[in-house]
Formats: sequence, structure tokens, C-alpha cells
Amino acid sequence: MLKNKIKIPNKLIISLFTFTGIFTSNIYAQAKDNSLDTYGQVAGLLVLLGILIMFILILVLGDEKYKDTGIAPKKSAAFAKFKQRLTKAVPIEKESEIILEDDFDGIRELDNTVPPWFNYLFYGTIVFAVVYMLVFHVFNIKPLMLDEYIGELKAAEIQREELIKTGALINENTVTLLVDEASLANGKSAFTTNCVPCHGPAGEGTVGPNLTDDFWIHGGGIKNVFTTIKNGVPAKGMISWSSLLNPKKIQEVSSYVISIHGTNPPNGKAPEGEKYVSTDSTKTGIGKTDSLKTGTTKIDSSKTNKVKTEPVKTDTMKK
Amino acid sequence: MIKELTHEQKQQFGVPSMEQFSYDNLIVKNFAIATMVWAVVGMLVGVIIAIQLYLPALNLNFQYITYGRIRPLHTNGVIFAFVGNAIFMGIYYSLQRVCKARMFSDLLSKIHFWGWQLIIVCAAVMLPAGLTTSKEYAELEWPVDILIALVWVIFAINMFGTIAKRREKHMYVAVWFYIATVVTVAVLHIVNSIELPVSFLKSYSVYAGVQDALVQWWYGHNAVAFFLTTPYLGMMYYFLPKAANRPVYSYKLSIIHFWALIFIYIWAGPHHLLYTALPDWAQSLGTVFSIMLIAPSWGGMINGLLTLRGAWDKVKEDPVLKFMVVAVTAYGMATFEGPMLSLKNVNAIAHYTDWIVSHVHVGALGWNGFLTFGMLYWLIPRLFNTSLYSKKLANLHFWIGTLGIIFYVTAMYWAGIAQSLMWKQFTAEGILQYPNFLTTTQEIIPMYVIRSIGGAMFLTGVIIMIYNLYKTAKLGSFMANEAAEAPAIFIEKKKGSGEKIHRFLEKKPMKFAILATIVVLIGGLIEIIPTFIIKSNVPTISSVHPYTPLELQGRDIYIREGCNTCHSQMIRPFRSETERYGEYSKAGEFVYDHPFLWGSKRTGPDLQREGNKYPNVWHYLHMQDPRSISPGSIMPAYPWLEKQDIDIAGTEAKINTLRKLGVPYPFGFENTANDSLQRQADKIAADLQKNGAAVESNKEIVALIAYLQRLGTDIQVTKSAVK
Repeated sequence: MLKNKIKIPNKLIISLFTFTGIFTSNIYAQAKDNSLDTYGQVAGLLVLLGILIMFILILVLGDEKYKDTGIAPKKSAAFAKFKQRLTKAVPIEKESEIILEDDFDGIRELDNTVPPWFNYLFYGTIVFAVVYMLVFHVFNIKPLMLDEYIGELKAAEIQREELIKTGALINENTVTLLVDEASLANGKSAFTTNCVPCHGPAGEGTVGPNLTDDFWIHGGGIKNVFTTIKNGVPAKGMISWSSLLNPKKIQEVSSYVISIHGTNPPNGKAPEGEKYVSTDSTKTGIGKTDSLKTGTTKIDSSKTNKVKTEPVKTDTMKK
Repeated sequence: MIKELTHEQKQQFGVPSMEQFSYDNLIVKNFAIATMVWAVVGMLVGVIIAIQLYLPALNLNFQYITYGRIRPLHTNGVIFAFVGNAIFMGIYYSLQRVCKARMFSDLLSKIHFWGWQLIIVCAAVMLPAGLTTSKEYAELEWPVDILIALVWVIFAINMFGTIAKRREKHMYVAVWFYIATVVTVAVLHIVNSIELPVSFLKSYSVYAGVQDALVQWWYGHNAVAFFLTTPYLGMMYYFLPKAANRPVYSYKLSIIHFWALIFIYIWAGPHHLLYTALPDWAQSLGTVFSIMLIAPSWGGMINGLLTLRGAWDKVKEDPVLKFMVVAVTAYGMATFEGPMLSLKNVNAIAHYTDWIVSHVHVGALGWNGFLTFGMLYWLIPRLFNTSLYSKKLANLHFWIGTLGIIFYVTAMYWAGIAQSLMWKQFTAEGILQYPNFLTTTQEIIPMYVIRSIGGAMFLTGVIIMIYNLYKTAKLGSFMANEAAEAPAIFIEKKKGSGEKIHRFLEKKPMKFAILATIVVLIGGLIEIIPTFIIKSNVPTISSVHPYTPLELQGRDIYIREGCNTCHSQMIRPFRSETERYGEYSKAGEFVYDHPFLWGSKRTGPDLQREGNKYPNVWHYLHMQDPRSISPGSIMPAYPWLEKQDIDIAGTEAKINTLRKLGVPYPFGFENTANDSLQRQADKIAADLQKNGAAVESNKEIVALIAYLQRLGTDIQVTKSAVK
């Protein structure tokens, strides 16, 4: 009977907090492709939250009910002692000794002392606050936000250099045209997601230019196309994709774009730019970010614009 | 008849004469009805916008019900209409009883009630119409701001008048919280709403950029503290011991957590601006004071839960107590989570995401919602002198509401954390794993669906409650004036020897109020004044110029449409953000931004560096039908922007107003401003036409594009100039 009585409120509270558990498991489900570091932090925080709340609930709910009826369960003697030490509460049966005289519409107040654990918590947070200010603003032990950012950039730069050294990173100097089906299929899917809004589903050109004709505003050929996609042409609304597509992806899209040459899709936009013919390296404009019109290649007389590999001699910039 | 008899008898027996009076229950009933009506309205709008997030077409291409405009309607409706009326209901009931006095003036009560409803109706008309200041939870335009201040003063007079004529020596702890609420909300509202009118329904904040942000979040955070927390703690101190019929656990704890809470809370505002262009020192103050808030906040929870010692068997039986217990535990959770979210490393993940939405709803649905329901279930039967119509329905409400909270909160936690981690994820090659923002949006759509179901469940519970309480009212008969009696008291002017200082203070409402005001003001002053007067806090950037008239008009359209509810304009200095959006935001870039538009949530991507990113026609097509350009986008379409004309009649007043606020438009510029506007508009329209978008230069879309293309470009100028 008694057990039954105490069960309900606990059950009700526990069910309220079940979501903490659900939530934590979700994080792990998501954790597959994310850094464990962040997960650790978040999950740790949540577990901490759960534990703290449970602790408080146990502490405050405890087993007052048993005390009230005078039938104390055996197991809780030590716990009661522990709890007593934390709250220093005057037991319910002695409540009349500490009741204050005021009576506010039937509400009375007890003069229980402030639970010691509350004080410890409060003092603890004050110490934390002082230490925090000292660490960040007096002794400058930990970096403030901009230093933190610079550190983040440096780490990324080191990582990048490492990748370039090992050849893992493709750039405009090392890019090659891909012709295998799998790569072109990847290129096509990236094209569909990212390029279609401006260049049309078949590369026929809408806001942006037609990609299937012989004419190129910023130069044809794998290196030029790669450069244009990578750096963009901000003045004309072509954004830089270098932070959005990885070099491998840019290579695939570039290869795909070159592969659709001459497909002559319906509603093709009128040619823009100059006729591009692949010949030699001098025509490949390897652009720098700030030269908006870089990469414009001059017309050449031969026809093919299917370029395989073009050795780049210089960092040519054309204006 | 009976009263007089008793009176005579008392005199006969020499008992100290009892004063006869009555409690005003009518005003309580009115506020209770308003609470329930606005609860349904506010929550219904909430459910609608929750669904709009996965069904953007639900705005039916109708501007007045588009997300950006009715999201503020939801927040205002729930905070100021539902919770606001609940506060007044609870205070008007409990204050009379703990003071043993009728409200100071029935007339003031009436003006307060109808004035507040008028404010809400104004909000319900103005917000969908796009009349907004854009400052969160302070969206209402200046005439309504003045009305709010007036009604609040009336409430304050009524409250202090009642306290002054009380028949109880000391003020009960609930009254302390009410006093802190009344004085602080007044200060917050007035300081944050200082704005210069442009016209009858349009104004610009006197503060700009970083300073506006600081004032806004000092207000925004403390609106949570002093509108959603302190009055509710006061009401908890009345209704919880009443319902449990137990004495309050610790008077000492009440004193400590009350003063610590109101002193510390006010400092914590900057935690809404971590990693932004706000100076580091202010951010750190926000963090440490938030951490120090844990104990004072929990003081309320502990005192509430420990009051239930020996009454837990009643919690099982009584729906009122069930609601209250969940409310108090939700309060404890939210006030622990809040400080954790104020830690830099947690905030870096949580800010701008649905985690914050979840956090807010633990407080709003759990703490404010459930405590309000507990109060209503307790009050209505008493007001109607009967007992609750159906306990079963109340239990049903409890469970459906609790489940609704769990659905809502879990889904939003998941959505927030999953999306944030996707935003931050780099590949092995060192570039963003999910460069397309939409990929991360699509990922959490299922969570948005679950959230809306949770919200709908919560609303269903409310409707069940209203039915139950309506039936309860039908059972009983309403007593507008409840007779009461109490002996008159004489309060000594001087502090008695041996009397504790706080005991003395509890007898002196004015002294108490002044002291509370001082305690509250300290934190705000220390944070706000240096940010305004020390120049190094906002380093200027020479290439930052005022907006052109067309851009200014575009900016006002951006504000009207509430673009800032979903798009931030504040890039934090994280590699994941500068890679995605561009250079991080700097304080000096916002010096002409009256008001600031940093935003607090990224339902869509940040727009701080949107300028020159896409061609004009991209924006045109995107506003016309976002999904034609960005498949899978959840942004609503804005077809009316290409039909409505730019309000050029207002240009002159706008320029003049901004000049008064310190924006360096040359004198006389207001006369030629529209020429400049026309030239710029013609250029954009010509470009649009060239690219196949037939649009006239006098349409709003042109102004909005001009503004979007300007965003964040000022510092690009410097860079190329330096080179």
C-alpha cells in the first residue's frame, strides 16, 4: 500500500526526465561522422544535467512520506543521515518549534536553515566566476575569441600544407581532366545540386552562360574551368565554390562541364565570351582571387577544346 | 446582516475591532478568462508557424500570415497576453489575501485590465501588418510602447496602494517578488524602448549596432527574469503552500535567494551575445553572472519542493499539485541549462540553433504553462464556490501536456545539436562537409514535424482545461465580492530593538522597492555605460558609410517582413562560419544600424556578407519563389514585394530622423534623397530587366535587393583599397 503511494510522484517526475536519456542516445546515433570532441562536451553536459536533477529530486522527494507515517524503510537509514547532513532540515514532527508567527492567508513559514549544499553550490559558482575573470582578463591564460580564431586558422593552414605536400589536395596546377564514368556521374550530381539554378539543367545557360558551346568567358579547358569554379567571378554573380566543394568535387564538376560540350541542348543561351581552343599552356589563365576578369582566353584557330593535361608554366594573369 | 452582528458581538466582548472588507474576485475572474483566451490564440499561432517551417506554402502567399510577421505574434501572444494575464490574475488574487485588503482601486483595476487587453489587440493587428521595431519581445511600435508604460504605472499604483493599506504587518515573500517585478519591468521596458518616431507607426531605436544589441539583450534576458520568473516565483510562494496546505520550508532561504536572484540576473544579458562583436569583457561578465545564477534560481525550486515535504501523497491525488511539481522541476532544469548555455564552448554549439528554442520552451511550457494551469485549476473552483468538474479531464490534460512538452523539447534538442554539428563539420581536406546550408535544414525537417505535434498536444491540453473549467463555472455560482475581515494594524515607524533588519524592511514597502531598484540597476549600469562612452569598445571603420536612401527603404522592408527572425547578420569568429559566410562581423560595421539586426536564430543562413554574393536576378527569383532557385528551401515566397510600391513619401522623414540620431547624412540631403533613390533603383531594375525579370524600379523588391547587395560590403571596399 505504502509503496504504491510513493511510486506515483516519482514515476511522474522520472517520465518527465526520460527525454534526457532519449536525447543522449540520439547524440550517439548522430555521432558517426562528427568529431567526438564536441559530442563528448554535449553528451557530458547532458549527463551532468540529468544526474544533477535526479540528485535534487532524490534529495527533496526522498522518503518524507515514510517519516510522516513513522514507518521508516530499513534501507534508507544511511541515506536519511546523508540527506540530513546536506539539508540540515528540522524533521517534520518538530516543525512546530520553528514555525514563524506570521500567518499570511493561512500560509505559515518555517525557519529552517538554508541547506548547506545550497551554500556550497553558491560559493562554488562565485569562486568559478572570480577564477574565470582572472584567467581570461587578468592573467590572459586562455585566449579570447579573436585569438582563439587565429589559432583555429593556423591549425587549418598547417593541416592544409600537409595535404598539399602529400599530394592529397588537388589545385589548379595539378588538376587533370577525368573521363571515367564514375567521376563524371559524381560531377553530374554535384552539377545538378549546385549549378543548375544559374546554368540550367543541361548547362544551356539561364542566369549564367551556356556551358555547352565553344565560347568561354573565363577560358575553357580543365584548368580554367577548375579555376573559375574554385575562385568564382563575384562581380558577375558566380560565387567562389572553394569553401563549398572540395577540390576533388570541383575536379569532377569541371570534368563533367567539359564533357557536356557540344551537346547543344534546347533553349541554349547565346554564346558569350571568346571561342576557346585548347592549345598550349600560355592560354590557361591561372587566376588570383582578386583579378575578376582573369582567365579570359584568346581565340585560337584550332577547334577542339577537350583538354587532357596542360602543363602550366607561369602564373599567368590576363587583363 | 451577519457582518454587523459579528461586529457588535466583538465590541461587546472587547475583542480588538475587526474591519470588514471584501476581496475583488471579479478582476481575478476577468484576468483568468483573458489568460485562457489568449493562451489558445498564442499557442495556435505557435502551432501554425511550427507547421510553416516544413510547409512554407502555408502562408498561402498572403503577407499577413507569413512566418516572419507572425512569429513575433506568437512570442508576444504567449509572453505578454497569456503569461501577462496569468501574472495579473495570480497577483490580484494573492496580493489581496496576503495583504488582507481589497485592491487599492477598483477603477484602476478595471483600467489595467482593459488597457492590457487593448495593448494585446494592438499587437495582434500591428504585428501581422508588419509594424514592428524588430527588437525581440519589444517589437511593438512607439505608441503602443507608451500605452504599455502607462498601463504598467497604473498597475504599480494599484499594487503599491494595496500594499500600503494592508492589514498585515509584514509583506509576505510573494509580495517581495511582485515589487521586484513591477519596478524592474518598468525600467527595462522604458530603457529598451527609447526610439525616435519617424511617423505615427514607425520609429528608429536611438541606439545603434553593438549598443543597441547590448541594451536589447539586457532587456530580453531580463524580460525572462522579471516577467517570466519573478512574478511566477511570487505566485508559487502563494499557490503552492496553499494547495499543499504546508508551511513554506525556509524563510531564510527565501530572503537569500530573492536578493541574490534580482541582483545577479540583471548582469547575465550579454550571454545572448557570446562570440559576437560585443567587447570581450562584457561577454565574460555575462558568462560568470549566469553561472552564479544557478544557486539563486534553484533556491526557488528547493523552497518549493521542500515545502511539499510530507505532502507527496497529495501530489498523487491532486492535479493542481501535479502541475505545480512539474512546473517547479521544469524551472529547475531550465535555470540549470541556461547557465550551461552561457559557457563559451556550449554556446558555440547552441547559439543560433533550435537548442535555444527548446530551452525556452522548457521554461515557457513547463514552468509558466504548468504553473498557470495549476493556479487555474485551484482558483476557478474557489471563485465559483464549487469543486472541479472533472478530475479525470484534469489528469488527461496533465499527461497530454507533459507528453507534448517531451515531444517538443526532445525534437528541438536533437534538431539543434544535429544541425549545429553539421554546420561545423569539416572534411579531411579541410573544407566544409555540408557547404550547402539547405542540407542541414533538410536533415532536421522530421524534427520540425515532431515539434509541431508536441505543440499541438500541449494546445489540446489547454482546450481540455478550458472545457473543464467552463463546466466547473457552470456548476457553481460566482461571488464577485468575497467578504473578509481582519483587525486593523498599526505599523511602527522605527525599527524596534532586536528586530532583524529584513523583518523591518518587510514592513516598509517603499524602502523595500527603492532598495530592490538599486540592487537591480547596478548590473545594468556597469555593463551598459562603458559600452556607450568608452570608444575602444566599438572601433570605427572608415569605409563604413550610411545606407543610401534605397538601401534604407530596403532595410525597413527587411524589418517589416521580419527577415531577422530566421536570418542572422552576425558572423562569429569561427573558421566554420568564416568559411561558410565570409569575414567575421566587426563592431564598427554596425554604427549606423538603428536598430541592429543581428538576429538570434539561423533557420536560414547568415546574411551579414550577402552583398555581391549573387546577381540581382538571383535575389529576384529567390524572393518570388525560393524553391525555384534553392530546391528544398523552407523560406516562404514574397510575391507581394514585386507588386507593392516603395514608400518614397517617407524617405525624407527617415533621413531626418536618422540624422538626429547621429547618422552623418549631409544637411539638405533629405531633399534630394528620392532622386538618389530613383537613380539607384533604375540601375537595379535595368539590370533585372536585362536578365529577364520584368520589374519596375518603384517596386519594393528593388529596394530590398539594394539592401541585400549592400550587406557586409563596406569592409570589402577597405580591403581592395588597401591593396
